Amino acid sequence: MNQDRQDTASPEFLLGAWMKTATDFWGAMTKMWQPTFATSPEATPSQESDKARPQELWDASLNIWQTMVSAYSTPETMDAAVKGMHALPEIALKMAKTGWEGYFHLQQQWLEKAGRIGSKTEAYKFEDLDKDTFRAWLEIYQKDFGQFLNIPQLGLTRSYQERINRAVDKFNLFQVEAAEFLYLLYLPVEKSLRVMGEKLPELSQEGNLSENFKDYYNMWIKILEGHYMTLFKSPDYTRALMKALDSAEDFITARQDLITDGLKALHVPTEKDMDELYKELYLLKKKVKQLEKKVDSR
Amino acid sequence: MSQFKIPVDRILAKLAEDAERAQTMTKKASDVLLGPLDTDIATTPGEVVYQEDRLTLRHYEPIVEDGPRTPLLIVYALINRETMLDLQPGRSVVQNLLKEGIDLYMIEWGYPTRKDRYLTIDDHVNGYMDNVVDFIRQRHNLPKINLMGVCMGGTFSVIYAAHHPEKVQNLITTVTPTHFDTDKGLLHIWFKDIDVDRTVETFGNMPGDLLNVVFLLLNPARLMIDKYVGFLENIDNKVFVENFVRMEKWIFDSPDVPGETFRQFIKDCYQKNLLIQNKMEVGGTRVDLKKITMPLLNIYGRFDHLVPPEACELLTSKVGSKDTADICLDTGHIGIYVSSKCQKELSPKIARWLKEREEMKPKTSTPKSRAKKPTPKKSKASAKASSRKKKKVAK
Repeated sequence: MNQDRQDTASPEFLLGAWMKTATDFWGAMTKMWQPTFATSPEATPSQESDKARPQELWDASLNIWQTMVSAYSTPETMDAAVKGMHALPEIALKMAKTGWEGYFHLQQQWLEKAGRIGSKTEAYKFEDLDKDTFRAWLEIYQKDFGQFLNIPQLGLTRSYQERINRAVDKFNLFQVEAAEFLYLLYLPVEKSLRVMGEKLPELSQEGNLSENFKDYYNMWIKILEGHYMTLFKSPDYTRALMKALDSAEDFITARQDLITDGLKALHVPTEKDMDELYKELYLLKKKVKQLEKKVDSR
Repeated sequence: MSQFKIPVDRILAKLAEDAERAQTMTKKASDVLLGPLDTDIATTPGEVVYQEDRLTLRHYEPIVEDGPRTPLLIVYALINRETMLDLQPGRSVVQNLLKEGIDLYMIEWGYPTRKDRYLTIDDHVNGYMDNVVDFIRQRHNLPKINLMGVCMGGTFSVIYAAHHPEKVQNLITTVTPTHFDTDKGLLHIWFKDIDVDRTVETFGNMPGDLLNVVFLLLNPARLMIDKYVGFLENIDNKVFVENFVRMEKWIFDSPDVPGETFRQFIKDCYQKNLLIQNKMEVGGTRVDLKKITMPLLNIYGRFDHLVPPEACELLTSKVGSKDTADICLDTGHIGIYVSSKCQKELSPKIARWLKEREEMKPKTSTPKSRAKKPTPKKSKASAKASSRKKKKVAK
């Protein structure tokens, strides 16, 4: 009896039973609907053909289903399908495991890098900035999220979709570069406050502490100015500035390509069209002016 | 370990005092800000005498008669606007020059649009500038005029004087970069690495706002924090507020720079430093500084952070002229035109220098045009433009 229960609960049995029930059910339904598909005696030939079309379509679909069921019903196919079913929980588990591992790995990286922010900024030194944090963000984005945007697109809307993805990708990259650049701009503020923190005890020991708040502000602004000057002359700053500018330009170009698609669809001249026109106009004007000068000088 | 002591109690007492003062100040400030403010800039009356595309030439009549006879043309930079030279009554280079009896013309480059992106340095120098110089020469019936350049406009004037020495009587360059291979100014450092091709391809014209961001970044502590702290401290002072707003108006009134001009300026000047080496080509012709044989007065600021003295001072030793002079004023890039001290120095020095040169040369030219008001000889095009556009305006 237990053996019987096990047999009836097995996937092979359940799949076979479901297929049989489904085929029987839809076969019976077809027979029931046949009178509604039948044509009335008064129907014109065209009406007849119109009504016969759904029935033909239905019959064809049922035939395909039955063929498929009979194919699946062979012991070999059934066996393969059932094996796949057995593997399903395993696959799901593997997928979840990989996903979690990836997520934890990312989180670990983020935490590690984020922990470094501000941990090694020394006064008046901008040579070894903790830009790794932003590089790590960039790497994570490029290796993980960004790749989805670079998946080749297919079909009629392929090029449009690619341009949308490109604009999103470039915007994200610009965000990272801009964040690094803004962080660099913030560093002198942090460093100047640290210097102020060191200066105040010195002034106190010398008995030179002022009662006027403005004096402290003036001192701070001078220190801040000095820090900015040091930063601005550092190669790291120039690099970050150029990268921020380059990424902004990449994004603007990608966005412009996207806008161009929209303008084309609306039959509005694009920036490129206008530039070509402007160039022609520019060359023509130049030629006319030269000729005008020649005529005047005669 | 000894604990340092800040006199917090005294600071707080001071802050309390300040708070009372702040209350009074706020009331006054609201009266100032909500009341009528005179913040107009460039109010000296001038006459538009020539227009070509986006360019406008304005003529200012001298206030006294004993100035130099040859008119002076001022060529401002393409970055920011020439209104800085006429910021407010009593603090105006234009007015001061007029008081010195100088017959003054000034080019207003206007606001380039997308259609101007293909205009090159050649178009500006050998096109617009040359047309303007010809117009003034014909108007005054003179073979040569005096030329004064400001910053990038000075660089244009140097190129012009090298290409057309026969049309320039005296050349004055103010805060004019000609030697770009220096690491003293931050712009010189940053522009060396900029991918200018990419920038121009992206933006078409170089956006004025983007340039403004770059200028603000030259000294954020002063330009983005301290300046506005100073404004808040003086917010109840009407005159201060008016002057501050005038300056703000000028600073953030930034036309875009035509793309091709910007590209060539950055590549040939900032990145390759061709001008001072006599290797720069404009309109297919090499700019030979040795052809600058007219007297040259080179003025710059000792504390200029945009165009440091190192970028200016080489010029006088590279030109062909034997009559050259360098004047280094103790001020910065803008201070040379707007600081009270320089206001007293700059214009009289320029006028004196021009007068001295005029007294030295044989008097072959016709008398002063402004005294006789002759009918200007114009080319057909300029005559048409003049009659079409001529109008007396107070900007």
